[in-house]
Amino acid sequence: MNGDRCLFCRKLREEPLHFRTLLSPETPPGLCRSCAGKLAPIDPRRSCERCGRDLGRLDGRLVHGNICRDCERWAGSGRNGLFGKNRSLYSYNEMMKEIITAFKFRSDAVMAQAFRKEFRTAYRRLIRDDPSLWIRIRKGGRLFRNDPSHVIIPIPLSEERLQQRGFNQAVLLTENLGRPITEALIRRSGEEKQSKKNRRQRLKIPRNNPFTLDPQTASSIAGKKVILVDDIYTTGATLRLAAAAIEPAAPLSIDSLTLVHG
Amino acid sequence: MLLSRKDNLSPAYDEHLQRYLFGRECLVEELPFSEEIIKRHVRKRFITLHPGIEPATDGLMALLSGTKRWVCRRCGNTDPREFGYCSCSRCGKTCVYCRHCLNMGVVRACSRLATWSGPAPERTSLPWRDSSRICEWTGTLSDVQEKVADDLDQYQSEGKSFLIWAVCGSGKTEIMFRALEHALRLGERAVLATPRTDVVRELFPRFKAAFPKVPISALYAGSEDKDPEAPFVIATTHQLIRFYRYFDRVFIDEVDAFPYHYDPMLEYAVLKSAKEKAPIAYLTATPPPVLKSAFLSGKLPGAKIARRFHGYPLPVPKDCWAGNWRKLVGQGRLPESFNQWVRAKMESGKQIFVFVPSVTLLREVTELLQKRGLARVAGVHAEDPDRHTKVMFFREGQIRILVTTTILERGVTISGVEAAVLGADDPIFDERALVQIAGRVGRSASQPAGDVIYFHNGRTLEMIRARRHIEQMNSEGGF
Repeated sequence: MNGDRCLFCRKLREEPLHFRTLLSPETPPGLCRSCAGKLAPIDPRRSCERCGRDLGRLDGRLVHGNICRDCERWAGSGRNGLFGKNRSLYSYNEMMKEIITAFKFRSDAVMAQAFRKEFRTAYRRLIRDDPSLWIRIRKGGRLFRNDPSHVIIPIPLSEERLQQRGFNQAVLLTENLGRPITEALIRRSGEEKQSKKNRRQRLKIPRNNPFTLDPQTASSIAGKKVILVDDIYTTGATLRLAAAAIEPAAPLSIDSLTLVHG
Repeated sequence: MLLSRKDNLSPAYDEHLQRYLFGRECLVEELPFSEEIIKRHVRKRFITLHPGIEPATDGLMALLSGTKRWVCRRCGNTDPREFGYCSCSRCGKTCVYCRHCLNMGVVRACSRLATWSGPAPERTSLPWRDSSRICEWTGTLSDVQEKVADDLDQYQSEGKSFLIWAVCGSGKTEIMFRALEHALRLGERAVLATPRTDVVRELFPRFKAAFPKVPISALYAGSEDKDPEAPFVIATTHQLIRFYRYFDRVFIDEVDAFPYHYDPMLEYAVLKSAKEKAPIAYLTATPPPVLKSAFLSGKLPGAKIARRFHGYPLPVPKDCWAGNWRKLVGQGRLPESFNQWVRAKMESGKQIFVFVPSVTLLREVTELLQKRGLARVAGVHAEDPDRHTKVMFFREGQIRILVTTTILERGVTISGVEAAVLGADDPIFDERALVQIAGRVGRSASQPAGDVIYFHNGRTLEMIRARRHIEQMNSEGGF
């Protein structure tokens, strides 16, 4: 897969020549400027401290401090558990909708690679990993990037859905990070698609959690910081259910990273 | 005892499945039948399965260089950039998939395409076969048309392909009627394929009027006139991808529009949809080089029609220098020569087509023309959601100026319209496109002439060739 064409519109990307790309044989796959320009990236300095929503797009009355109304309600509901914060790269808009449709519903798996660089940056920011090697050396910190104190867990699909789609979009997004992946969760079949439900249906507490913890991985989670990865954060219900399933393994914290906040 | 006998007599295959799959090619998971039924049919060889993506077997070079190349069986895609890889959870391996035909459901290396290899289903009654006249078109063909129509039918009946090289507005559609009538009487299935939706929408009512007793199916994205059993199908080439060795006769209208779609998939789709050795009739005003040389060297039988059906010559395009049109439009102005021409045409009450090279330019030019407020102006391009309504309004005369990209260069017949190309020196306008655009003008006997003007900033070879092409056709037509 060569990256000289846009993954979405298939036109030539015409990336400006750069010292970093000058000598590399292949450009990494990605979007062209015109497609990338139609996305709505979330500025981390202007996002909700908890769910990572772009506060600039929200009515000011729904924001207190740096926290949105939804997160206040979650905090008041007593169902937050260990779930700490979420970070997302983009707000949901028409362009993102089309990309997600191509990626998930038309099964264009390579679309996940379009966000490799951005996904890595967001991950580092989430775990407060200094990006440059030099700064880390100066501070006398770790040289290796694989921080053993973090466990990355993609949100799974049910076996049924996995067979249908052929891949798990969360796993493909996680592969972008180039770090070890722990598939610690199992998802029960037969629940209704989240994307087919409305807000109230999503927030209703399901009688039993669709996620269960794979007992074999429990020991590798204990005392670690868990990062959950998914494609979309909508109401936060899925991620909190997943967090609740992981909690018995006694992780230190649970945060999440998603491509889209919708 | 009775029961078991009955079981032996009933066909060994499911008739619904047979009807569904006959002449078509589908992904196994798309079939609305249970896995068990499908497996049983595969075992008994009523269904053949093929891998969705196969390694390409092309040449020594590919073998030596060690690059792996693939072919998508459904769409014929071989472009290595149009394949993606992902770890597949169905087959548990890294699986290659075709990105080219994704919107019809993903084809992976581990998916299987099913085709029907059992007996053909019995045709339900074909009442039109018994009526004395299937084609109820009452017009008359000119002597030239008459001869070509006979030749076409004869060659097709012998199973041979045929090229009709006819100038725009020579009545190609009516020439097809005789061969089609013959095919329908024999109970054959025929398809008329064309690359553009607009052309299907224009041809469908014409055929419907000529063959009122015959069910006709029009296939294009969003069509409502679909009939799976219809013996005659008018389809965009995209829609033929799901067919497999189904049609006995193929007519391809505007065959040369294929390369404009830069898409070998369309040719692949047409060939796949036809039965092996089915005769193909190519109809075009501007044959592509391959067909042209096959015709001229005598390998491909065919006929040339250099005269329009109304007997008047083709309008010869005029060139008009417009300065740096791109820069002017960028500054929010239109070239003065173009302005004058538009004003003159509006004052004399004409309808005009304005062809522009790109969608961005289309928006700007449309807006500039609208600002001048001479008449009702609209712009259409391929992704325009209101495309069909705008073309309809233009046809009815409510819109006086239609700005368009090359999508409307073919097949659209509107009486009394005149045409301008703004930016004819752009590489997108090659000889064939320019000839086709000139062919939009003077289509009716009442208004056989009209302006075709190429506004340019420096004459290109293609413009000169286009003019020569038209002049040569005119001289062959005896003008």
